Parts: sequence; structure tokens; C-alpha cells
Amino acid sequence: MAKVKINDTEIEVPNGTNMIEAAKLAGEEIPHYCYHPHLSIAGNCRMCLVETTTPRGPVLEIACNMQARDGLAIRTDTAQVLHMRKSVMEFLLVNHPLDCPICDQSGECRLQDYYMEHGQYDSRGLDPKVGKNKRQDIGDLIVLDAERCVQCSRCERFGDEVTGTGELRLMNRGDHTEIGMFPGDRLSHNYQGNLADICPVGALTNKDFRFQRRVWYLKETASVCTGCATGCNIQVCHQEGEVFRYLPRRNDQVNKSWMCDMGRLSYQEIAGLKRILKASVDGKAVEPDVATGEIATRIRAAGAAGVGFVLGTRATNEANWALLQMVRANVPGARIFVVEGNDGGQAAQGDTLLLSGDRNPNTAGARLLARHDGNVGDRLALLAALPELKLLVVLEDDVLGRLGAALPPVVFFGAFKNATAQAAAIVVPTAHPVEQDGSYINRQDRVQRVRRAVNPVGESAPAYVVVDRLGARLGKAPGTQMVAAAFNGMARAVERMRGLEFKGLGAEGRLLAPEAVTAVPGAEAST
Amino acid sequence: MGPKILSANWDVPGSHTLEVARSRGVYSRVAPALAMKPADITQVVKDSGLRGRGGAGFPTGMKWSFVPSKEKRGDKPVYLLCNADESEPGTFKDRYCMWLDPHLLIEGMIIAAWALDCHTAYIYIRGEFRFIQARLDEAVAEAYKAGLLGKNILGSGFDFDLHVHLGAGAYICGEETALISSLEGEKGQPKLKPPFPAVEGAWKAPTVVNNVETLAAVPWILEHGAAAYKALGTEKAPGTKLFSVSGHVNKPGVYEIPMGMPMRQFLDEVCGGVRGGKKLKAIIPGGSSVPVMTAAEVDLCSMDYESINQNAGSYLGSGGFIVMDETTDMVAALTNLLRFYAHESCGQCTPCREGCGWMYQILCRVRDGYATPEDLGTLRDLADNIHSKTICFFGASAAMPVQSFLTKFRDEFLERVQRPAAAVTVMASAPIPSAGA
Repeated sequence: MAKVKINDTEIEVPNGTNMIEAAKLAGEEIPHYCYHPHLSIAGNCRMCLVETTTPRGPVLEIACNMQARDGLAIRTDTAQVLHMRKSVMEFLLVNHPLDCPICDQSGECRLQDYYMEHGQYDSRGLDPKVGKNKRQDIGDLIVLDAERCVQCSRCERFGDEVTGTGELRLMNRGDHTEIGMFPGDRLSHNYQGNLADICPVGALTNKDFRFQRRVWYLKETASVCTGCATGCNIQVCHQEGEVFRYLPRRNDQVNKSWMCDMGRLSYQEIAGLKRILKASVDGKAVEPDVATGEIATRIRAAGAAGVGFVLGTRATNEANWALLQMVRANVPGARIFVVEGNDGGQAAQGDTLLLSGDRNPNTAGARLLARHDGNVGDRLALLAALPELKLLVVLEDDVLGRLGAALPPVVFFGAFKNATAQAAAIVVPTAHPVEQDGSYINRQDRVQRVRRAVNPVGESAPAYVVVDRLGARLGKAPGTQMVAAAFNGMARAVERMRGLEFKGLGAEGRLLAPEAVTAVPGAEAST
Repeated sequence: MGPKILSANWDVPGSHTLEVARSRGVYSRVAPALAMKPADITQVVKDSGLRGRGGAGFPTGMKWSFVPSKEKRGDKPVYLLCNADESEPGTFKDRYCMWLDPHLLIEGMIIAAWALDCHTAYIYIRGEFRFIQARLDEAVAEAYKAGLLGKNILGSGFDFDLHVHLGAGAYICGEETALISSLEGEKGQPKLKPPFPAVEGAWKAPTVVNNVETLAAVPWILEHGAAAYKALGTEKAPGTKLFSVSGHVNKPGVYEIPMGMPMRQFLDEVCGGVRGGKKLKAIIPGGSSVPVMTAAEVDLCSMDYESINQNAGSYLGSGGFIVMDETTDMVAALTNLLRFYAHESCGQCTPCREGCGWMYQILCRVRDGYATPEDLGTLRDLADNIHSKTICFFGASAAMPVQSFLTKFRDEFLERVQRPAAAVTVMASAPIPSAGA
């Protein structure tokens, strides 16, 4: 550990901590453009100049290239520092087109923010600005406006260090330095959206979000992407019930500052045509209550031996817990299954960065409950049991697609129309992850929260509520109407979740306790 | 004028060939040097007080001693890079060293390499010096053939390979970390320090970057000893130095003189005085990047680092001695300089990238009569805001001429901006530079 001093605050940080980060811990925001916690140090924007004392007296040095060591003291509030911030702003803006009124970055632009905070000078720029290429289509998701660029080189470093594709390059010199790509080159990777995120100005903007909404109208809700088993932390940006974009939310343990384009664009499904909006019984739209009653009737008719339940790898922990409790309380003899795999039955490719080949957000959670219950069958068990089943109750997953075998009459609780939903006798719509509170367990065994950002569409409700209502019809409701109650009940019961609390999951989630090592029968412990 | 250390062979016909070079004693210091302990060579260079001739004047022996010892650097190699990217306006000495006595440089590099435990070295040569590269290539080939380079030099067991690498023609690649970037195949841009090249330079290995003239002085120092070198020049700036003299003088050219000669004497006696018998107006003593000196300051200074710094606030730099007579338009001269800096800024750091072009544009307006007194204030501010706020020294190099011209020749600038008729039409008639790259 190193004791460093930022202005008058003394704090202790690990040796080598970047001084911008150390200052943040001390409550001091050092403005910067080129520094990014998950990219290498470039040191070129000069916005983070701070004063430090050397044998030669006080000198200005860039904070981003300073590592914490014992006794290091910096000042961010001297006249020299404040003057340089203003000066750097003046340099950055002298050739900037100032087209804020038509720029999507407006409202979250470092040039705007820092000008208000550190600039506030009267323009002295009398000379013509250097013109550069505007509106360049450089990828499926990205538009480049080289004129707005501040040459911070973040995008260049992202391409070199994160995706390893290295498309974007700073070319030419002096004030004609321009960000661009080689002729014929085009962004083609699955992480393009991050370029727009890390661009501190409006040079790289996201085509999908361009001209959609002014960012200051958007509200942000911290959540988790449910596109795959990685569970990238995200901000859901929404206004009046409509979601406009997902942004990655920093979590150094999961996704650093990144997310893939597939996950980023998956917000489009929230209000997409594939959503199930109404409950139906045998193809006829009915009130959800009516459908729930009909389900209870058919479960009773099938009898415990004739009905099977499938936990969802796409469902929240709370929904799975609700279903497990509901079944054990009302139809104790019924069989329960988990069918892993991807919807549509197709194998999916993952990558080495974030995207997992398992496109379900909660495979680990479903497995955990299966292990906890001890009597939950897998895909093969379900295949074997199919002839005896008269009714199969499915939570979220496309069991039909995953099994590729004909199913008995199906009751489907889910948000999206998939093959199983289409074949189902009874369908009850459930809420999308951004429309409910709940938790998922990612592939690292990290329990992470989603938060309700917008209201559920149509007649949908969170699955744990829907299942609770079904339990009430069957006699015993599992008591999972409230998400925190559902989670906390589960955490008390499931060994590896012990000690976790719904409210204590925090912004970065919590890891499950490590799996207890079961003794191999017959093996003697050697001491 | 004292002994010639660097330019002794320049007038000998065929001095660039191995045969003539050898007859003049070049390479005679290799065998004795290889018989010495490497650390002893570094000590001799340290004792001689030799300072880097590229511009900064950093003590060469000390630079060599920054290279981590074998225990510390592990199996990383040490690289020796000869900075032959001579592109400072007004400086043209290294090209003569390489053109007229390439073998002296190679000899110096062999000795330096032995001292540094270096087995691979590069001469990074300026992109425009293609013709010199051809000559260096010949000299290196001759040296290889004669067993002076390559495996087991002169039977000493010391292996040393020397490569000549042509840059692509960028002023900034004379900055040592930009030179390293360029040599590595990257865009020629300075790197953040720390780490310093002596610890982590080319390909992340310890690297020493020395100027051509510096390395060419090493053989003489070894032959004659540190004391003989120290006997020349001044106490803090021993030895001789090459000066590139250009501008309004009667005898422009490259001159080798001992450090410490009075500047006036150098100008009048060595360079033949100001052209056409005119009065001296100003001198830029160390290449275009250093502050300009007035005629009055010239009388106070002698040709060494300390005197120029103390008496005129300028620097000896690379020894690019630019003479300007009384007819010189200082506004036009500064504008011309800034055109160079605006073009050569690598574009990495904000102040220098945006500021050099901006200063040039303002100067164009001053020169053409479209500027106001406020513009001079802006110009001064910009220079102050660029100076030493950037990764490398380029920003300061562009700022110092502006600061010094504005201070020392203020009247000429004021006269240009006090023409109200032109000033009101600033926006309407300012020349519009071409947009885009």
C-alpha cells in the first residue's frame, strides 16, 4: 500500500494505482479524455495535468502516467493546473466544428462538460477551422465524424488491445491528424458499439441510437444483459416506458467496460414483434386469470404422475424458485426437469472476450436449484419421461426446439414467441428482464440483479408472480409475489446462497459460495 | 583553431573509403578499445566530459551508465541507436560526418557498443538522406568485409552487427523515443517517459540513442585520453563542436571549433562576417528551435552551452547557427519557422497539435497585415500554453522561437498589427488554407 496525498486529502491505495483512480477514491475528479481504465496509457490529451513537487520545484505532470507510490503528493487545484485545463479546452475546441445541435453526443460529451467546468473562456479563434471528413459509414453500427474527434486514440487502442482488429488509425500529422481507416476496410466485429461508448466526444456515434433521443431525457437503470451466460452489466436507458439503448456498465470482474453488439442490440426485442402480449388457451385469447385457472384444472386432471415441469435457464432465480416451491407444495409427486441448450436447438459460437456459447442468462441458476432439490431431471430424463407425461409446464425456455422431440400438451410461461410457445396449448405472458426485478447467476457463479426499468408490456407480469398465482389456484401459493421475499427465501434454503440478500447484491453482484467438495466414496482422506 | 577531431579527414580525397580512412588512422582505436574493460571505456567518456551533440547536451558517459547491468536486465539485449535523423532547420553537420568520414562513425559505434555490451546497433538516418544511406551502406559493407563488423571483430570474440535504417522523413523522428517508434515500425511518435529508453527502449530493451557527432568523437577521446579532450573547450563543455553556419554570412558551411570561442569572433573570423558588410540583427545559435539572440546578446556570448544560456537565455542546441542581417523581416522569418513546426508536429498531444497550426495561422495574418494587437497576446499565450505541456520537447521547440521573437523584436510585430484599415477586414480577407489533409 502507498500513502498518497491529493490536495489536502491523504489516502492509502495499492502501490502503482493510477493517480486518476486514486484521486477518484479521494473524491477528486481529474478531467481526462485519453485515459481509460481498461486501455493502455497514451498520455496525449494533456487534460489531466496536475501539479507535483519535485526537487526542481512544482511541475505539471499528467496524472494518468503517474503511479501511486509512498509519499507522492499532487495538487489539482492550483492556478497553474486550472489555467492549463482551460488552455487544453481552448486547443481542443479551436478546430472542433461545434455542431452540438445536431450531434448525438450532446449531453454526454466531455467537450461540453469540461468546457462548462474548466473552460468558460471567450473564443479567440478567428482563423478558419481545419475541415475533415464527416459522416463516414465505417461499420454496421458506427458512423465516424472525424471533425469532432479530439485524437485521444482510445478507439485506436481499443482495436489494438481489446478486439485485436486494429481498424481505426490516426493518420497524418499536426492539426491535420485525422482518425480513419484504410481504404476498403470496415468494422466487422461484434464489439463495435463500445467504440461509440469510449469516444469521449461525438466522433464515433452509434447508428442505432443516432437521432433517436436526446440523452438528457433518458433515465438509466442498472441492470444485466440477458443475451448470454456472461451477464454483462448494463445501464438500461429509457424514457417514458420505452427503452432506447443498453450501455455497458463498468464491472471489472465481469465485463470491464465492454459489451457485445448482440447484447447491446437485444433491447430491440423488448417492444419487438416476438413478444407475447396476451394469454391464450387453445389458441383463444383469454384473461391471464382465466388461463391460470385452466392450467390448474389441467394439472389436476393430469395428476402428479402425468405432469412435468421445466425450470428455465432463461428465467430469473426467483421464477425458478417459485416454480420449484409451487410444485413441491401442490403436486409433490410431479417430476421437474432442466433442459440446457440454446433456443431453436442451435449450437451457438462464443468468443474469448465476452460472448458465451451458452445464450441463456441463468443456466448456472437453474443448475443450482436442480442440485439443491436433488430430484430434478435433465434433458435425457425428460426424453425418457415424455411417453408418460400428459402435460408439460415450461418456464421461458424453448424446450421443443432444444429437445427436437414431440411434446405432450404444453403450458408455456414466457416473454417471447418461440417454437414451444407456438405449440403450447396454454400461454401466459411473462415480463422481460428490464420489466422486472430479479436475479440471474452468470457463468462465473456471480449472482447479479436486474431492475425494473419500464412497465411490463401487454398482460405480462414477472414469472414469479404468475407462478405464485398458479400456486394460489392449486391451493398453496409459494409466497413469491415480492421479489425480495422470493430471493431471500431461496438464499436461506440453498446452501451456496447462504448469507446473500437481495438488497445486498449491490451494483457488481456477489459470487456464490464455492461448491462443497463431495467426498468420493471409498477414497480415504490421507492426512 | 585547435585540433580537428571530427573533421580531420574531410578534405582528404576518398576519405569515405576504408583504405583512405585506415591510412588516416580510423579503426586504429578499435583493437585497443576491445582490450579494455567496457566499464573503463564508459569511465573515460565520463571523465572526458563529452556531452550529447544532438541538442540537449546531456553527458554521454552518464547516459551510458544508465543502462541496467546484466543482472538487472536479464537476457534482454542492449541496443545502440545512432541518431542520424538530422532535421533541425539550420543544422547540417551530421550529413558531412557521414558523407565524408563514415568509417569514423562506425569506429565510434564499435567502441560504444563494446562499452555498452551491445551486439546490435542501428544508424537511423533521415528519410531525405537517401544518398548518404548508399554511402553508409558501402562503408558498412567494407567494414564487414574487413572483419571490423560482424562475428568476432578483429579476433576479439566480440560480435557486433550494424544496420543502416532509413526513416520516412519526419522531423519528429529525431526525438529519441519517436526514433525508436519509427525503427520499430510504428508511426513516428514520441513515447511517454518514464520508462526512459536506457531502461526500456527499442523493443522494450535497454537502448542508448546517441547523435552522430557524439559517437564520432569517441575514438579520439580513447586515443588521446579524457584529459586531452577536457583540455579543449570550456570546463563544463569540453572538446570541439561542429557548427552549421547558414544565413547572411560570407562563408556559410560547417566548422569545427573548440567550445567557448567568443561568438563575435566565430562570426567575424571563422565565418567571414555578415554578408555584404551589413549590420547583424539576430542569430539563432542552435537550430531553429532555440530562442533567437539579438546582436547585443551575440557580443556577450561565447560558443558553449552555459554562456549562451546565461547571457541570452538561449541554447547551443545542435549548433545550427543561423545568421540574420539588418534587412531580415523578423515577422516573416518567424512565420516561416512556424510553417515548419505546424507541418511537423506529430499530432499526438493536444497543445502542440492544435497550437502549432493555430500559431502559424495567426502569424500569417500578422505578416500580411490582417491582425490586431490582441492577436499578439493570443500568440504569446498559445506559446506559453504549449511550452513543456507535451510528451516530448517538440512543443517547447515550437514555442521558444515565438516567445523569443515576440519579446526581442516586439516593435516589428507591433508595427505590423497597428494598421487599422487592414485589421477590420480580418474575417473577410484572411487567406483560407486548404481544408482536409
